[in-house]
Amino acid sequence: MGRTSAAMAVFLFLLLSLFSILQLVSSSPEIRVLSAERRIDVTAPIARVFLTLKVENAGTSEVSEVLVAFAPTEAEHLAILKASVAEGKRKKKTYVPLSVNPSESPDAPNGAQLYSVSLRSPLKSGEATTVEVLYVLTHLLEPFPAEISQSEPQLVYYRDSATLLSPYYIVEQITSIKTPSNKVESFTRVDPASRVGSELRYGPYHDHGPYSYSPVIVHFENNNPFAVVEELVREIEISHWGSLQIRDHYKLKHAGARHKGVFSRLEYQFKQSVSGVASFRHLLMKLPPRVHSVYYRDEIGNISSSHLHIDSQKSELEIEPRYPLFGGWKATFTIGYGLPLQDFLFESHDGRRYLNFSFGCPLIETMVDDLTVKVILPEGSRNPTAAVPFPVDQHLEMTYSYLDVVGRTTVVLQKKNVVPEHNTPFQVYYDFNPVFMFAEPLMLISAVFLFFVACIAYVHVDLSIGKSS
Amino acid sequence: MAPTPVTSPVPIQWYPMLSALFLLVGLLVTASFFIYEATSSTRSRSLLKEVVSAAMASTFLGFGSLFLLLATGVYV
Repeated sequence: MGRTSAAMAVFLFLLLSLFSILQLVSSSPEIRVLSAERRIDVTAPIARVFLTLKVENAGTSEVSEVLVAFAPTEAEHLAILKASVAEGKRKKKTYVPLSVNPSESPDAPNGAQLYSVSLRSPLKSGEATTVEVLYVLTHLLEPFPAEISQSEPQLVYYRDSATLLSPYYIVEQITSIKTPSNKVESFTRVDPASRVGSELRYGPYHDHGPYSYSPVIVHFENNNPFAVVEELVREIEISHWGSLQIRDHYKLKHAGARHKGVFSRLEYQFKQSVSGVASFRHLLMKLPPRVHSVYYRDEIGNISSSHLHIDSQKSELEIEPRYPLFGGWKATFTIGYGLPLQDFLFESHDGRRYLNFSFGCPLIETMVDDLTVKVILPEGSRNPTAAVPFPVDQHLEMTYSYLDVVGRTTVVLQKKNVVPEHNTPFQVYYDFNPVFMFAEPLMLISAVFLFFVACIAYVHVDLSIGKSS
Repeated sequence: MAPTPVTSPVPIQWYPMLSALFLLVGLLVTASFFIYEATSSTRSRSLLKEVVSAAMASTFLGFGSLFLLLATGVYV
């Protein structure tokens, strides 16, 4: 009896010590950020942040990921997060992209959203590496005052933190904010903070612990066009007879400070430097080269105020809506164009065909709240799949068009909060047997043949009432 | 190893010419079909000739109208 209880006690003691050792080993590896440099660009209505993190592994075990944290207000406006690491020296520096995934951590404060950047090779204890992170935030510039008249400039609030929100201990950090002009009304002072022209600098700050957050507000003038496409539906129709037809349906809005009072056309036209500085008239679209049959119309009819400039590398379409857009005003229009098939449709080695096209909106410097891309595949296509570099919602639909019997399979991709950084190519793969291309001429031939058969039948049938003697 | 671009089976520049050609031949064969119908009597009519002529005419007219649709920009 004594021997077994002693053995049990020893066993329990060993188990407890094993657990405590495991606790020590599995606790989060100690990463320290040696230097963090944040460059925030708020010249456009889309806020872009470039973050350079120099991290050092101060723990004992290897680390293969670096966590980046966002406050809840930032996280819900986050459009895209990209990370890369520089390889090579000096002139031969290439940036290798790293994969980023959302992650959870038990000791994050409530609401903080974490993303983990996977390093290419695990970082050994004592080593340091530099990670470059780019993230884009939308709808974060709040116009204040919320309503302005025609002759006032537009001022916006930008809310952020002077210190970087990070799960790690930061030895040294500096943040610089670039505004479009040097008209900054006010900014929260967190010493040492300074302003030189159109650039504000917060820092350098030393030795801040994990998750330290000091909110600041910058109130500055931003008259750059606040163009937001509330809804964009792109239809890409593939026809194996030689063309790609694209139809874009836009719902455009000026998302800056709302316009109050009357709109005086006289004042707008004659005092252009003072009146309507926060409004915009022209929009630029970048289209692929070799585009043809471009049209720009809305529900009323064709809009002729547009210019198309085509060269060998790209095409630029500058459109001017029927009226200038002030704060809160909307415009709805459709733009369509055709492209040659061989630039975008390819056949891979395993026999599947795929469409290689760029996701996103062709308008430059414009964010889209809700983007729907419909790829209409020809009749007789099977097994469609889409390969998109970032998460989108996908589903299949049927579209009925010219000379269709069973309908055309349509791959629908939907994404919210799309910024120009999303203009990367995506692919839609499908199987197509070339025999199905004969379905259309066969339909026409059989229709005409039916008419001839009717003629023959009429000639052969005897319709006389009495017997011909 | 590079993927091959997919092009149309017939060069696009040929579409208007092909449509005119096919429609012209198709209409000529249609004309000969109707002339045969009009000039032959009930006894001497040969069903085979009629059907063959109708098939040829409908083939040419079908392809011609397809190329006409493609030439005008309705890419079916």
